[in-house]
Amino acid sequence: MSRILLVEDSFSMRAFVRSALESGDTLFTGVEVVEASSGFDALRLLPRGPYDLVITDINMPDINGLELVRFIRKSDQHKNTKVLLISTQSSDKDRERGMSLGADAYLAKPFSPESLREEARLLLARVTE
Amino acid sequence: MAEIVAHSAAGMARRRGTRDFLVFILAGDLYAVGLTRIREILSPPPITPVPRAKPAVIGVCSVRGLLVTVMDLRRRLHVEEQPLTRRARILLVEAQSGEVVGLMVDEVRHVARLADSEIEMATSLLGGDVSEHVIGIGRPVGDVVVLLNLSTIVSA
Amino acid sequence: MTDPTDKAREEFFSEAQEIIETLSKNLLALDASLREEFSDPGLVNEAFRAVHTLKGLAGLFGAASMGMLSHRLEDVLDALRLGRIELTPSILDVLFQAVEVYGKVLAAEKDPDEDAAPLVEAMLAEFDRIGAGATRDQSPTAEYDLDPGLLAVLTEYEEHRLRTNIENKMRLYRLRVQFDLATIDKALEEMKERAKRHGEIITYLPTGETASVDSIELDLLLASQDDLAMLIGALGADNVVIEEINRRNATVMPGTIKPAPMLRSRATSLPGKDEELQPLRMGDDTGLEASGSLKSLTQTVRVDIHKLDHLMNIVGELAIVRGALASISERLREEGERQLGAELQRLHRSFDRRLSEMQDGILEVRMVPLGQVFDRLARVVRQISRELSKEIRLVITGADTEIDKLIVEELSDPLMHMIRNAIDHGIESIQQRQEVGKPAAGTIALNAFQKGNHVMIEIEDDGRGIDEQALIERAIKSRKIASSDAKELSREEVLNLIFLPGLSTREEAGDLSGRGVGMDIVKTNISKLGGVIDVHSEAGIGTKMTITLPITLAIVSALLIRVGGQVFAVPLSSVSEALAFDASGVHVVDGREVMTLRGATLPLCRLDRLLRVQDPAAAGMRRFVVVASMGTRRLGLIVDHLYGQQDIVIKPLGRSLADVRGFAGATDLGDQHVGLVLDVGALIEEVLTGSELSRERKMYADG
Repeated sequence: MSRILLVEDSFSMRAFVRSALESGDTLFTGVEVVEASSGFDALRLLPRGPYDLVITDINMPDINGLELVRFIRKSDQHKNTKVLLISTQSSDKDRERGMSLGADAYLAKPFSPESLREEARLLLARVTE
Repeated sequence: MAEIVAHSAAGMARRRGTRDFLVFILAGDLYAVGLTRIREILSPPPITPVPRAKPAVIGVCSVRGLLVTVMDLRRRLHVEEQPLTRRARILLVEAQSGEVVGLMVDEVRHVARLADSEIEMATSLLGGDVSEHVIGIGRPVGDVVVLLNLSTIVSA
Repeated sequence: MTDPTDKAREEFFSEAQEIIETLSKNLLALDASLREEFSDPGLVNEAFRAVHTLKGLAGLFGAASMGMLSHRLEDVLDALRLGRIELTPSILDVLFQAVEVYGKVLAAEKDPDEDAAPLVEAMLAEFDRIGAGATRDQSPTAEYDLDPGLLAVLTEYEEHRLRTNIENKMRLYRLRVQFDLATIDKALEEMKERAKRHGEIITYLPTGETASVDSIELDLLLASQDDLAMLIGALGADNVVIEEINRRNATVMPGTIKPAPMLRSRATSLPGKDEELQPLRMGDDTGLEASGSLKSLTQTVRVDIHKLDHLMNIVGELAIVRGALASISERLREEGERQLGAELQRLHRSFDRRLSEMQDGILEVRMVPLGQVFDRLARVVRQISRELSKEIRLVITGADTEIDKLIVEELSDPLMHMIRNAIDHGIESIQQRQEVGKPAAGTIALNAFQKGNHVMIEIEDDGRGIDEQALIERAIKSRKIASSDAKELSREEVLNLIFLPGLSTREEAGDLSGRGVGMDIVKTNISKLGGVIDVHSEAGIGTKMTITLPITLAIVSALLIRVGGQVFAVPLSSVSEALAFDASGVHVVDGREVMTLRGATLPLCRLDRLLRVQDPAAAGMRRFVVVASMGTRRLGLIVDHLYGQQDIVIKPLGRSLADVRGFAGATDLGDQHVGLVLDVGALIEEVLTGSELSRERKMYADG
């Protein structure tokens, strides 16, 4: 059972991602998706980890996704957690910054449910090895 | 915006030039309405008549707690009202106002996907008396289906 | 396997709707700020954010038009916030137009039969005309001594904000604040509110250095015109450290963020509570005003109103079960099973208590603030006032007042009609107003407050008031009253003439009148919700309408009766008594059947005839009279059978049955059957007024 923390302020986006993760048989370990609607919520939920994967949007008010990545990377508890960043495609800068801060992957919106599942599967697969 | 990928099935259908319709029977003839605004199809539950409502209104009923006004589509379109059989069904549709209204029909047939080429719009139909509720005629392989305008039917 | 996009699609529609509404509110605020001539740069930013989010969602869910619209609108808003385009009323008009088009585009997404393409085309052309599509400037952030680590975690968007502020020669500050994770939402909101008064918050950065697992330290990057001393004075506190980020060539401030130690896990020992450095205290509370109700977004649950209806139904059915329990315990005791009966009685009481609590709980959940509908009205006001070239100042108070969600849904139409009337007929033209010494802008005040079990909504304008003479003349002309009786009417009765059907002023100029804004429909709709409407007016001074509504379409006690073979419910609050019907006691007075009840005359109404429901099986059977009352008026309803008392949940009838008079709604009677609920007020009015009118007509015809 893989534990995934989903951080995203748009609720329909969360529904979309959750739905993509929960459907399909590619994530054979089974997933438990925990949702956070803001960076702060994520901070509150992180101590209840560790999570196998954190999927976070970059553009959120208050604490943005990049700041969250750095926070996670500083955390001992989450040293094995994979981080997947999702964001609007127009920003290469965001992508660079995210990766250099220690994110493991980056998906640009708009993406299909299949792409998301594929990324998640790849990231989670390393965990079980 | 070519990069934006269309995920909407209905949108895709529209792009391919086809639309889905629910086909049913009224007074022995085939009619249809666009599928998208049909919420549910059910066997008629007990219907309570509403005194002094318009003649087309059969009454109100409860669908899992939701209060629904049920209209007799045959009366609405002024076609022959044969006694309702066990095959009668109520189509739950969403009116423009958001209200869910029920339409009683003699029998529900199937869903038909009609290409634009199989539809003849009402404006091009010659002669007589085209009711305001008719959008056009669909001719999927041999049948003749009267396509109805849901918006005008459930309003007013 | 269902496509995830489809499953989440409902959420998308819902969220898109919310964002559009937020955008609308935001534009209204911008409108107000334009008029008052102050500007809040945050507002345009918020609008930009909203559209940006919409763009992202549209792309994800394949809503091409919405994506295109958002993309271009985003450019316009970007140009606005960077100051490349100036915000003028006419540009604001275009933005409002965009909101309308968004609504249509969303509708088209839900229903492919709808086509919003031409509207979108037109909108995009408007955007072109405004001349958006400005290129973004690169401007040096290197002028400031910013920790590169800080820059690295700014999103492109935040960096923009930073650059803009730098361009505007703002000073940069870092506020390091300690928060308790448990209360961070509220505390942060307060901090934000305070800080916003001094500048713009660019971003929040968790430093990763915390004293305990339950607290968190944040760096707020603030751009402000104020100097350090002022900021320390305004925002300083035990747990806040403020430093200015200086431009280069000045003293290097201790602004760098040290690499933080790892977050300690719970296993290791934490510093004892007593040696804790910064317990959460936001400085002095006096002078700090929390803005409105600080509901943390993450603590609310979005609920579909239908789910609540479902819960309500279950409660209603449990109420039936409770009634059955009570009667069984009665029977047990009658049959000598005292012990068992008493135990069941105890259970029943406890069940009853819990059920009431649950009922109250669910009702509370259904409550929403009236502000929802008021905001929509604000847009309408703006639109109409421009259409009619009148200047209107809309003052809204009590938007926090809560009422049942279903009532709110049904309120927007009647309220909109009333406001249209107020603007069209009530408020005079600018010139006319100035001639009588009134300010050029007419004021419309919307006020709402709770009064006991009711919610009062007041709509007041400072216009010309209702012309009573003209009203009387119109009523006579439409044969609603006889001219001879006109003199006998009290002021209140005259004003209430506006609620007579068929009186709308179609002959008057003003194309709004033609849209059927009859006050009779408004009154009917309000009474369907169980409310009443009063009107006061003073010539030359203004008009005030007051709507009284029940807080909720609560569970009410009702009397179930049978008439014409059908079951109906009569709210007990409108019933004074019920008795056996003695046909011999009926006599006819002025063409109306009446009977004498304890010395007073009680007008009667044969419900089966009025509702045209006949039941041949009831002929010859014993009948009953239900004495219904509303205010001082009473009416005896003749019915076939009394079933008894039952708690019911009244559900409003749909708009499709808006033309049917006499029913307040319908209720579940159990086993999928539905019973109609009588609207006593409407029935009394229909029967009694009808009789009075026919009396008038008779007299009128005679002489």
